Amino acid sequence: MKVLRGLFLWACVLAVVLPLLWVVLGSFKPSLQVIADPWGLPSPFKPQNYREAWTEAAIGTGFLNSLIVTLTTLLILLPIGAMASYVLARFKFWGRTFIANTFLAGMMFPVFLVMIPLFLLMRTLGLTNSLGGLIIVYVAYSLSFTIFVLQGFFQAIPVELEEASLLDGCSESALFWRVMLPIAKPGLIVVGIFNAIGLWNEYGLALVLMTEKSQRTLPLAIADLSQTQQYQADYGALFAALVIVMVPLLILYWFIKDRLKESMLAGSLKG
Amino acid sequence: MQRRPGWFIAGFLAPALLLYVGLVLFPLQQAVQISFFQWRGTSSVVKPAGTANYQQVVRDPVFYEALGNNAWMAVVVGLVVFAVAMLAAHALKKRDRPAKILDALVLVPMAVSSVVAALLWQFMFHPQMGPVPELQKMLGLGEFQSGWLATPATALPAVGVALAWLSIGFYVVLFGAGMQQIPGEVMESADMDGIPGWAKFWRITWPLLWTVRRTAVIYWFISVMNTFAIVYLMTKGGPDHRTEVMLTYLYITAVENSQYGYGSALAVVNLVLVLAISGLLMWLMRRDPAEARA
Repeated sequence: MKVLRGLFLWACVLAVVLPLLWVVLGSFKPSLQVIADPWGLPSPFKPQNYREAWTEAAIGTGFLNSLIVTLTTLLILLPIGAMASYVLARFKFWGRTFIANTFLAGMMFPVFLVMIPLFLLMRTLGLTNSLGGLIIVYVAYSLSFTIFVLQGFFQAIPVELEEASLLDGCSESALFWRVMLPIAKPGLIVVGIFNAIGLWNEYGLALVLMTEKSQRTLPLAIADLSQTQQYQADYGALFAALVIVMVPLLILYWFIKDRLKESMLAGSLKG
Repeated sequence: MQRRPGWFIAGFLAPALLLYVGLVLFPLQQAVQISFFQWRGTSSVVKPAGTANYQQVVRDPVFYEALGNNAWMAVVVGLVVFAVAMLAAHALKKRDRPAKILDALVLVPMAVSSVVAALLWQFMFHPQMGPVPELQKMLGLGEFQSGWLATPATALPAVGVALAWLSIGFYVVLFGAGMQQIPGEVMESADMDGIPGWAKFWRITWPLLWTVRRTAVIYWFISVMNTFAIVYLMTKGGPDHRTEVMLTYLYITAVENSQYGYGSALAVVNLVLVLAISGLLMWLMRRDPAEARA
């Protein structure tokens, strides 16, 4: 049993690491060596793959676009989402349950199903191929999850706190911005991390809404690269591009891995 | 305390509600409407079509093939994912070195995303450079002329491998948390009674994981129905629709073939199926069977 357990654990570790290691090794190799000697060390060592991927294959543009889209989306999404969650969690008013459930329903169906009308709508508004357009779509489609998680955090804040603040002459909005929002910070971090990963990686909606090369996000750029004939044989550059996509996520992952687990469970164990 | 913050509630809800209604709910309603029209995106002719699009869906063999592939992923890949995740979560309970290493890495595939996973595994199965065909040759198992992803019998399992690689981590963490909720005394007394490990798992761990299992099943179903990038980037649904799933078929119909009316009908049927099946799953698992005995 003990031996089996050890073998199983190491097999799992290898299953995660080996494919990634293979890509990292390959990203420093000339294309021919990728095929001839898949597990050997790179010789000659070819870091130019990265330059090629970054400039010629427009991975650089994609990286910048993804950075802008992800950060701006979070900057709009978090306050808007927190405001709605706060109201839904702490006030009783007509239609509250209905509105809360309507938001939750967004997590139950594949959002990609609305691609046709969404594309037509955005085209009518002149917002296809625009980073701004993609950002408001991302905000709209991230609201369900954001409100689902934040509502839980706001519900957990004791009532006495707001009563005391209101008696002190605090206005409703000051109560939210100065008292409640800082207390819900752990929740904001959780949804921030989750949405950041999801947005950085989002593929389907961007594929439908962004067709111009200069406006493409990183997942589109790298997917495109793998389908472009010219690069289909340039494995070194392809692997380098793949590493460029992964590295920011792996760095982020390393710093937040424990929090990531906690927050994943916060979102799912209740359900 | 008297609070009448009507304006405040409305003001705080408005931005989120406006965006959600305008960009999520309105398009959803539009999809239903468009599905009753004959509309090729390439022309400006839009004609009422009655239920013609729906009749076409019902007769479309590719629709059934895609549905079947989604079902295969949900059941076959699902069983593999759950079994491996359960074993891993169990093995991770003791905190020795290999356990700590795996624990640190377990969510890496999820963090690097389905696009990376798709491309990564496309290369892994690549007929010229892929380690998988390489290994297959080394073991003397022959090789597939056009590679795993272009061979009808192996394409879907190969996509399944990538999907499993991407997904397992989440369920390891979920099952692990479920196991932590089981009181230590229960296990200790089972140990003292000399109950063997296997029986302990089936008699104690498995039944007590009820809530977690329910969450896992519904999550898995929804994520399988959301599967798009991994299939589209690895195989585009080919060869000959052997790996087609609902969302790749919808994308190809809507975007590549510009069939807006028919695509919308596919989307609506898909939506109804997803809601009906997840509703059914929740109903089937509505309460803890162990509760009745307690």
